Amino acid sequence: MINYLKSEQYRLVRKNTLHITSLVCLLLIGAAATVLYYSQKADPNFPYVTTRFFYSNVIGSGGLIIIVSFLYNFSLTGKDTALLKNAVSFGISRNTIFWSKLLLTLSYFLLICVFGIGLMIGLGETLMTSDSQSVKDFLTALVNMLPIVFSAFFLIHSLKMLKVGEVYIFILMLLIFVFSGDLLRILFRPFTSLHEVYKYAPDTLLHENLLNFMNHTVQFGYQHWITGVLLSLITLLIGVTKFAKQPID
Amino acid sequence: METIIQTYQLTKTFKDATIIKPLDFALQKGEICALIGQNGAGKSTLFKMLAGQLRPTAGDMHLFGKTGRDVAQARRRMGFLVETPVFFPNFTATQNLEYFRIQRGVVEKKRVDEVLEIVSLAKEKRKRFKDYSMGMKQRLGIALCLLSSPDCLVLDEPINGLDAEGIREIRNLLVKLNQEKQITIFISSHILTELQLLATRFVFIKNGVIVEDISKDSLQEKSQKQLQLTVDDTAKTAQLLEQTYVDIQFKVLPNQVIIIHNHVECSGDINRLLLDNGVFVREFRIEARNLEEYFLELVGGNGHD
Repeated sequence: MINYLKSEQYRLVRKNTLHITSLVCLLLIGAAATVLYYSQKADPNFPYVTTRFFYSNVIGSGGLIIIVSFLYNFSLTGKDTALLKNAVSFGISRNTIFWSKLLLTLSYFLLICVFGIGLMIGLGETLMTSDSQSVKDFLTALVNMLPIVFSAFFLIHSLKMLKVGEVYIFILMLLIFVFSGDLLRILFRPFTSLHEVYKYAPDTLLHENLLNFMNHTVQFGYQHWITGVLLSLITLLIGVTKFAKQPID
Repeated sequence: METIIQTYQLTKTFKDATIIKPLDFALQKGEICALIGQNGAGKSTLFKMLAGQLRPTAGDMHLFGKTGRDVAQARRRMGFLVETPVFFPNFTATQNLEYFRIQRGVVEKKRVDEVLEIVSLAKEKRKRFKDYSMGMKQRLGIALCLLSSPDCLVLDEPINGLDAEGIREIRNLLVKLNQEKQITIFISSHILTELQLLATRFVFIKNGVIVEDISKDSLQEKSQKQLQLTVDDTAKTAQLLEQTYVDIQFKVLPNQVIIIHNHVECSGDINRLLLDNGVFVREFRIEARNLEEYFLELVGGNGHD
């Protein structure tokens, strides 16, 4: 597994698109901070130059983060999967391939996330009006987002490894991470005992997380972790089981 | 002798179609075995099962005597080139092989240059894979097979897209690897004349069934079709033949040529008979079917791959 990881890392660091994506993400953070900062310079009454508003852009952009995670995942599970036959015919197990690619892309994604968060906090605390709780609340809200973003990452990875088309992945991601709350609410309306299930839907939880952050009431949410861990386990289990039987042409 | 590949009732079914019917096959160390069959006969499916790309529906396979989970370990002693070679299009040949060198745990870095030299790509090693010609891609595929110094090569259409010079080079390379390093080779190609020059054993497959498994010597023997003689006296020759072989079938052609359709195996005796009786034999030739004719006769098809 170590050799496979090393080879994939050799590939990953030479993926220009990945570096460009990372750079664009970091530049967008910088650009957002700069725009807010100069907006206040131009209009001293401009009300949005606060760290809480700045950070809320991330807390409220679960969908965008999932799209970025898709791009990172795609770097090792996109067209490169055509080369899998070379690895399999050398006796490298499908399990090794599945987990190595996941581990590497996830690590790189997390690394960029940490850089991005650091940059945001640095820019926010130096350029904007900060309240004493904003960084703590920001980090708490991020911890709540983490399992759901992870589950999305795992789902994308599993689907990509199973060669599911991008359009289908996109539709499935929309259903689970954007519309699932509304869908569950409609679906379980006739069943009184299941009325509350929608509260555990990823999109409901992400939305609630944003509201709590803006209202200064954000707390560690165990519901986020229940949903995230459950989704992650299911997707990884299905992914790794099906990939083990998948023909590799 | 060590058995490199052994299959027991190996079967592959896709939905309702059985592509490989229960197949028993063994490849011994040192052999160059050609797998010959029409399109859809099951050649690539068999190769893919050996490579682990497809899971057999039933049956078992042993590679280097290993079976079950140990087969994966045995594959590390093999080099597979199944269908078209695939590499990172934006990587150069060196970068592509370096990626696989790391992946396969090949310690010597210079091995990449060595295999590129072997397949005559050393001068093109900085070119991106996407800029390679079909023949160069094939060579790089072979280079990858050789990267981890395998004991057995499984090559599906390795000379596809190569020019005449390239084909000759690859043939010489494979023969050299087989003779000098005792690398066992299991190969398929649609260029049957090449296989005839290369292989020591021929396995014919039709509709997922091995219909003939024959050594080069036996094939040559079975391929002998007729004797063609050019003599100074056709009448005397005919008389001698009829006297000696009651059931002999022959034709007398212009220019004192005689074609004998049976008793081909007695060619030596026939030659002696004529010489002993004062017939001057200007030409004595055993006409044989080539591999293509033999194949077409065997599988009864018009085309092949």
